[in-house]
Amino acid sequence: MHRAAARADQHPGYADPVNDSAPAPRGLLRREDLRLTTGAGRYVADVAVPGCLDAAFVRSEVAHGRLLDVDTSGCAEVRGVVGAWSAADLDPLPEVPAFGPSGATRGRRWSALADDRVRYAGQPVAAVLGDDRYTAEDGADEVAVRVAELPALVDPTEAADSDTRLFDTGGNVAAEVDFGEPVDEEVFRRAPVVVAGEYRQQRLAPTSMEPRAFLAVPDGRGGLQVWCSHQAPHRLHRELAAALQLGHDQLRVQVPDSGGAFGAKSATFPEYLVVAQLALQRQRPVRWIEDRAEALVAATHGRGQNQRVQLAADESGRMLAMRVEVDADIGGFPHIGFVPNQTGLAATGAYRTPQVHARVRLVLTSTAPTYAYRGAGRPEAAYAVERTVDKLAHRLGLDPAELRRRNFIAPEQFPYGTPTGRLYDSGEYERALDLALSELDYDGWRAEQARERAKGGRALGIGLCSYVERSGADRGMTQEYGAVEVAATGAVTALSGSCSTGQSHETVFPRMVAEQLEVPEDRVQLQQRDTAEVPHGTGTFASRSMQLGGTALRRATDALLDEGRRRVAELSGSDEVSYGAGAFRAGERAWTLGELAAETGKLRGEDLHEGVPAFPFGCYAAVVEVDRELGDVQVLKLVAVDDYGVVVDPVVVDGQTRGSIAQGLGQALYEGVPYDEHGQPRISGLLDYLLPTVAEIPRTHLRETCTPNPNTPLGAKGAGEAGCIGVPPALVNAVADALGAHDEPQLQMPLTPETCRRAAEGAR
Amino acid sequence: MKPPRFDYTAPTALPEALRALGEGACPLAGGQSLVLEMHYRRQRPSALVDLNGIAELDHITAGDDGLRVGALARHRAFEQPVAGPLGRLLSRAAVHIAHPPVRNRGTMLGSLAWANPASEWPAVALALQAELTLASASATRTVPAEEFFRGPHTTARRPDELLVEARFPALEGAAGFVEHRRTHASFAQVAAAVALTVRGGAVRQARIALAGAADRPIRVRAAEQHLVGLEVGRVAGGGSDEDAFRRAGELAAAAADPIPEPHGSAEHKRQVAAVLVRRALQQAHQDQADQDQPHQDGACGT
Repeated sequence: MHRAAARADQHPGYADPVNDSAPAPRGLLRREDLRLTTGAGRYVADVAVPGCLDAAFVRSEVAHGRLLDVDTSGCAEVRGVVGAWSAADLDPLPEVPAFGPSGATRGRRWSALADDRVRYAGQPVAAVLGDDRYTAEDGADEVAVRVAELPALVDPTEAADSDTRLFDTGGNVAAEVDFGEPVDEEVFRRAPVVVAGEYRQQRLAPTSMEPRAFLAVPDGRGGLQVWCSHQAPHRLHRELAAALQLGHDQLRVQVPDSGGAFGAKSATFPEYLVVAQLALQRQRPVRWIEDRAEALVAATHGRGQNQRVQLAADESGRMLAMRVEVDADIGGFPHIGFVPNQTGLAATGAYRTPQVHARVRLVLTSTAPTYAYRGAGRPEAAYAVERTVDKLAHRLGLDPAELRRRNFIAPEQFPYGTPTGRLYDSGEYERALDLALSELDYDGWRAEQARERAKGGRALGIGLCSYVERSGADRGMTQEYGAVEVAATGAVTALSGSCSTGQSHETVFPRMVAEQLEVPEDRVQLQQRDTAEVPHGTGTFASRSMQLGGTALRRATDALLDEGRRRVAELSGSDEVSYGAGAFRAGERAWTLGELAAETGKLRGEDLHEGVPAFPFGCYAAVVEVDRELGDVQVLKLVAVDDYGVVVDPVVVDGQTRGSIAQGLGQALYEGVPYDEHGQPRISGLLDYLLPTVAEIPRTHLRETCTPNPNTPLGAKGAGEAGCIGVPPALVNAVADALGAHDEPQLQMPLTPETCRRAAEGAR
Repeated sequence: MKPPRFDYTAPTALPEALRALGEGACPLAGGQSLVLEMHYRRQRPSALVDLNGIAELDHITAGDDGLRVGALARHRAFEQPVAGPLGRLLSRAAVHIAHPPVRNRGTMLGSLAWANPASEWPAVALALQAELTLASASATRTVPAEEFFRGPHTTARRPDELLVEARFPALEGAAGFVEHRRTHASFAQVAAAVALTVRGGAVRQARIALAGAADRPIRVRAAEQHLVGLEVGRVAGGGSDEDAFRRAGELAAAAADPIPEPHGSAEHKRQVAAVLVRRALQQAHQDQADQDQPHQDGACGT
């Protein structure tokens, strides 16, 4: 396995000032780092457009109700305010498009500004444009909104049966989907052991450092230039063009530097539609720079599920059948609520359980819509399965590692078609488990735990999670575009349809192409994130960029070299053309890439790669100590063993793993968006939505195994979401182990001190 | 999150600032709470008077009558203890306030005047029986800490007054401070500050104060009575009186009337208060024992 750069924990300071996109100078690991860490990054808010107006949105303070009146007349008095628009003032009134084919959106309109009803607290009701954000907010203060309140719905299980309907068409269950065949009740009745669990996946706020940002600039010819912090510019282009009725070439979407996305910046949101339309109609540049208060409450949330699991096994712990029922809270509108389907698909986990059935209900509630957030449906599945597996171990008095061993899908069984509809490509689950146990010093900690228990000492617990992830996306999103061009100067441009929002593409892709072409790295630049420069793209999410985007570039480079050989054969009259160290050779003659391009025209290779999902996997193990009196959880040791297939850049993947681990820790112990019975979110800022800080991150040991992806030439699977999947079950299982609280229904995330204290008392 | 318009002045002398307060301006020192409220438009002062240029407010003075702290003393200044149990209590409390950037700007007196029921300094002020000096354009008065805190964000300070000084009397004895919060940057859920006046190895007076246990900082007098006469430190033979400390904790829980929050019910905070008071007393006991140790430096020890 090749090592691309020094280890992440060994970098000295840099010495030389350099330009953007030159190779990383001595001591810096990535090309992006100099500008991003010295304030020279250029984000949407840094794009200075003379005469640009700022938008502020008036947002519903009521979670659910009939919108009676929006009075914007007060704005006319406010100095610097250009205007205010409600649904009644926008003609046409744009609608948020449905993502993917879905019967759930039939008869259910998501207007960009609330028209008949408000369906979540924070929903945009009016837009105010001002000379700057201060005056726009002054204007927003003057807008009066009248709503006739209706009952709020905040729990998906309750909402499923409620008489209060969010839409006039149909009930609140927007869709019900089955994965696998229903399991006969007989199987559970006859099984020697059945364990059951009910789990809550709390809502999470994705909390990228940069909230959403959107800038629309009319081009003076009836078209629009858009800058947006986004993960999928080609999709945004397509959906905006359709909504605004613009021709393909009348719209250009660019993504500048982006301060993180984590899944929540890949859709076409109502605010984007309003800003774009106002810019076009007023023929003035308009931008919306979301602030943190909006981002926490009115942007999309992640997770949000009620789960019921039943697991049947025989006396030796062999799993016979599993049933997973999910009530997924998709929020006030169904248009982008597809993530919970991933939970159903993933419900088999790492085990060869012969019968697995998952039923997922997508339920509307009067809360902010839920959408993708790092892990997007797979953390939910891993949690449901892995907590229940530990309950089974506890019930049988079996070591949880041993129970897993008895049930893993064996290496010779791949490719393995799961009962819930996945075809796992490759895996060695037991190997990952063994490595995790040895890295943790599992036996040592079990002995320490026994000693403490014997003397009534510290509450120590050990928890495991064996997970199988899915990377690359599926169902129409498995394509990615790559192209490589050589100019007469010898400069190489790699074009990718992927879209970095912090995934190091600017460093990794040029390095990869340079290696394949055997030229110095500084010769290659990356072109992405611009729909005018890159003709096709799907984007960056689902850990797909190396697996699919990298493969597309690899194949595009192959195509370029093939084209080069063809031209050289023609020029030299010889069939024996070789390539090495940046040059073609035929007999006595040689052409560098640049020389060939100078002589025969730009040299190019292109690929639109259609891939299949890949299945990274791993095992996480945690040791915790719980303060029984106060409920504090201290993570004494955390081990992450991840198998991403072939790792192309270990430093980058290390960073991805650590970042996802921090977010997994956040879900397990700290984060959550609670709603009260009126549908009001009970957080307003980062003082109440607690994120783990650097001081909360425990000592983490990362190891890896490598089971190559048989379906790509790189051998790479996807990386980046594993920590979100592996950490929560490992931590919660560890706390359950520490307190003897496996069957405590109140042990739910986030494991706040109060939760742990109550679980400790309940288990006594 | 942008504030509405406001006027702004930055005088360099105190009388000018007091005159501005008298005309309705709001004082600005660290701004770590006020500015946030202004950005949320929850507070809308029409004018701010910036105190940061008034040199006479920027002092921490140790003297015979204890420690005098001016309005511009930052939280961070207390992280390095001045000598004695007083300094140690202030230091232990200071490192629990928010996180370093907030501590660099936020001020102790600003926190006292803001009177968030979960803030550390108000509880510490109660435990140390601080005296708070309020100045207006026309008069100056001093209010004991016990009479200063009147409710959530409510104090004896009138809008035209500035909290200009806090005086902490010297403490002969031992102190402890323990806080419970969910992350290293968040607000306290509950905190306990303990100041024991110790003479001849016995507690002469105990003051136990809690933050986050009610709508204002409170003293747990029932628990305090309980501790008078108790032996602490080396005189106690090295072992602390666990029963007395536990009983004090129970009394503290009974006295608490906490405001519930999303991840901290009243019942939970009561339980936490009991544990923290017990642990703060253990810390104070150890503090006394450390003081009673004979000096162990190289010159004397050989």
